Amino acid sequence: METTMESPATMTIQTSRFGEVTFADTDVFEFPWGLPGFADQHRFLALSLAEQPNFVWLQAVDDPKVALPAADPWSIFPDYEPRMPAYATEALDLRSAEDFTILCVVVVTKEAEEMTMNLMAPIVVNLKSRRARQVMLENSPYSVRTPLPRKQAEVQGTAQPA
Amino acid sequence: MLVLSRKVNQSIMVGDNVRVVVVAVDRDQVKLGIEAPREIAVHRSEIYEEIQRSNRSAAAAGATPAEKSAAVAPAALQPRKKSPKPVKNR
Repeated sequence: METTMESPATMTIQTSRFGEVTFADTDVFEFPWGLPGFADQHRFLALSLAEQPNFVWLQAVDDPKVALPAADPWSIFPDYEPRMPAYATEALDLRSAEDFTILCVVVVTKEAEEMTMNLMAPIVVNLKSRRARQVMLENSPYSVRTPLPRKQAEVQGTAQPA
Repeated sequence: MLVLSRKVNQSIMVGDNVRVVVVAVDRDQVKLGIEAPREIAVHRSEIYEEIQRSNRSAAAAGATPAEKSAAVAPAALQPRKKSPKPVKNR
């Protein structure tokens, strides 16, 4: 864990997947609209694991059991071109490409044989305000379950069902 | 559930700034028009429910042994347009 000169307040939570996680106030992303399926969760951390450089885990700050794997869609689908609906642009105050990024949720099937990425509902993050929202691209060509190429799936190793 | 009868071109207001208009009716299909502030998300329920299910399955994946003993740290997320070099954001 790195420390800073003017260290922001740090907190430690006990998560069911990763054990103890320590973070600063400034690491938290606000999801004012919750996350579909987890509407009550409004604060998430984006965690990275040394062993899984291509993935980020969205860990709910207020529920230790809730963590979703996600990844940068462009690292796998370089041509991905989500068109933001007006409500997302408005809600997240998306003005400059420099200010935001996108993560897409990854689903590992029970058999751990297949991984899919939700390209239809990217999580759009305003890096300046640290507010984020999962945005549904209705009428887009993108699927909720886009299979990940095998090569990428191997990066995560073999996840075992709980 | 509140149930209202409306004819074509009639509408209902939801709150102060959402208007739902019956645009057309054809047998068992109803075309609705929705006027809402730009920041309001309007979706077919099936799509929203599909995303809910997808998120829940994502969260249900079992942890790998590596995850259980992993060194985790808050990720430094990169803006899309910048080069993907790691930068320290704090």
